[in-house]
Formats: sequence, C-alpha cells, structure tokens
Amino acid sequence: MSETNLYPGLNLGSGHGEAHDQAETTVFGFWVFVMSDLFIFGILFASYASYLDPIGMAGGPGPQTLFDIKSVAIQTAFLLVGGVAYGGVSIGTKYEHGRTVVIASLLLCAALGAGFLFFEVKDFITQAGKGGVPQASGWLSAYWALVGLHGVHVFSGILWISAMIAQIAVRGLDDVVKVRLSMLGVFWHFLDLIWVGIFSFVFLVPLA
Amino acid sequence: MTRPNTGEVDPQDGMAAEIKSYAIGFAVSLLLTLGAFTAAMSDISATMKVLLICIAALLQIVTHLRNFLHLSFSGEQSREDLLLVLFSVTLLAIMAGGTWYIMSDLSDRMHTSHEGTTHSFKSN
Repeated sequence: MSETNLYPGLNLGSGHGEAHDQAETTVFGFWVFVMSDLFIFGILFASYASYLDPIGMAGGPGPQTLFDIKSVAIQTAFLLVGGVAYGGVSIGTKYEHGRTVVIASLLLCAALGAGFLFFEVKDFITQAGKGGVPQASGWLSAYWALVGLHGVHVFSGILWISAMIAQIAVRGLDDVVKVRLSMLGVFWHFLDLIWVGIFSFVFLVPLA
Repeated sequence: MTRPNTGEVDPQDGMAAEIKSYAIGFAVSLLLTLGAFTAAMSDISATMKVLLICIAALLQIVTHLRNFLHLSFSGEQSREDLLLVLFSVTLLAIMAGGTWYIMSDLSDRMHTSHEGTTHSFKSN
C-alpha cells in the first residue's frame, strides 16, 4: 500500500498492519472531537478579547496587577517540553522500542504536565487572593473559563496517560493500545497548541 | 527521503527523519516563544509588540500542526484531515471573529452615541 499519512499524528505505518488501518477511522473520529473542542476554546478566546477593555474589567483588578509573566514563561516551558516528550511515545511505539521506553516517555509527559498544573494553580490562588476572582468582572469570568478549561484538559490528559500506562503494563503494546496512544498523542499535542494561543493572546497581548 | 513520516523501507532511516522533525519543531517553537516573550518585555511600541506576538503565535501554531500533529499541507495524506481542519478554522473565524467585531463595534457605538445624545440635546 502507498505510504501516506492516513490520520493526524505520527502514523504507525503499514508495518503495524491492522493497527495502522484501524487507526485511520478511529483517529479521524477523535480528530473531529478535537476540532469541536477547538470551537469551544475559540469562542472563549473571542469572549476574552471582547471583555479586554476598561468596561469589561468593571473596575476590578486588571492584567498588570494579576499576571506574573515569569510564571507564565515557566508554564510554557513545561508544556512545550511535555508536548515534545510525547514524540518519545509515538516513535517508541512505531519503531517497537519496547514498553519500557514508551512508559518512561509517558511518565515524563505526565510529570511535565503536572509541573505545568502546579504553577497554574499557584497563579490562580495568588490571583484570587488579589481579588481576581471570576465574579469580579466579565473579563475575569472569561479568563477563568478559558485558562481553567485548558487546565482541566491538561488534568484529564494526565489521567488518560495514567490509564494508558496501566493498559500497557497489563496488555502490552497490542493493536488496541497503539490506536489509543495515537489518539492520546493528538489530544496532548492539541493542548500544547491551545496554550500557544493562551500565552500569546491571554497573557502577553494585555501586558504589551 | 528527508520528508518526515513517509514510512520508508528502512525503518532506521524513517526514525531518524522523524526524530529530526520533532527536533526542528521543538527548536522553532522555542525560538518563537522566546521571541514573543522578549517582544512583550521590550521597550518597543504596544502596536509593534502585539503585531510581533501575533505573528509568532501564528507561526508556532503552524509549526505544531506540521511537526507535532503531522498534518500535511501538501496533500500527502488523506484529504479529509486537511479539509476538516480548514473547514473548522473557517467556521471558527466567522464565529470568533464575528463575536469580537460585533462586541467591539457595540462598545464604540455605545460610547459615541452617549456623546451624540448630548449633542442632540444641545441642538434642540
């Protein structure tokens, strides 16, 4: 068969036979879900941008008071490296480096994701302490909804990674697990992509 | 042969290309991120800052799609994936862009109509 990409994400390749073919429909279906997720994030970005003026901030605390650019940079580093670390999972699965390599890469992704969440939650607590709670203004409601939803996604990503580690430990890298790892890869890289939008438009643009 | 993810006959060759693709994606993303943060903290005008941050974000999103999500822009994969993304992005641009336009226009109109009312009172 011709060696083209059948679905988004690193393709398993025809060497994986049935798993590769099965992945085409399954991962495409998951890609459709991810695009619907993109809509939710996109609309929240639009709300955030609409509230980003003195009326939207309604006399509440603004970006200069609440945002800590150093912490945002740390979170960005965690998530970017965490996204690239998933390359170890995809390549390890595709070229059959064995379950130790795949599990180690998954653990690295989960650890970096957890590091990201630690700094994000720390920021949320500091901001709430400064009066930047969601009910303070429309701008803050949009901020908590958008950044909070992304945080919830990263948390579910970590849960999914843990579930996959358990599945690899129990059943090994069989066809079903390979397809699921391909979907997890799309999800994990997508979260990184959304974060690019968040650090640029939610944090850096208002501070500019 | 250097194209990532084409599943060459020699698996080691393909693997090297894919690792290279991830490495390039990481390096480009890192540079664009550093660029955006540097621009935000520099002394240039606010308009220039926003422009640079937006350009860096767009370039980085394209890099992520290409190197991490392995979405091909030159049609070497099933067409549906690219069409799905392009269609979603078009709808999103209409909805998100439309929301932002309507809300900022409303804000402008409410602001100016307030002054307008004052003027009409004066002329009456």
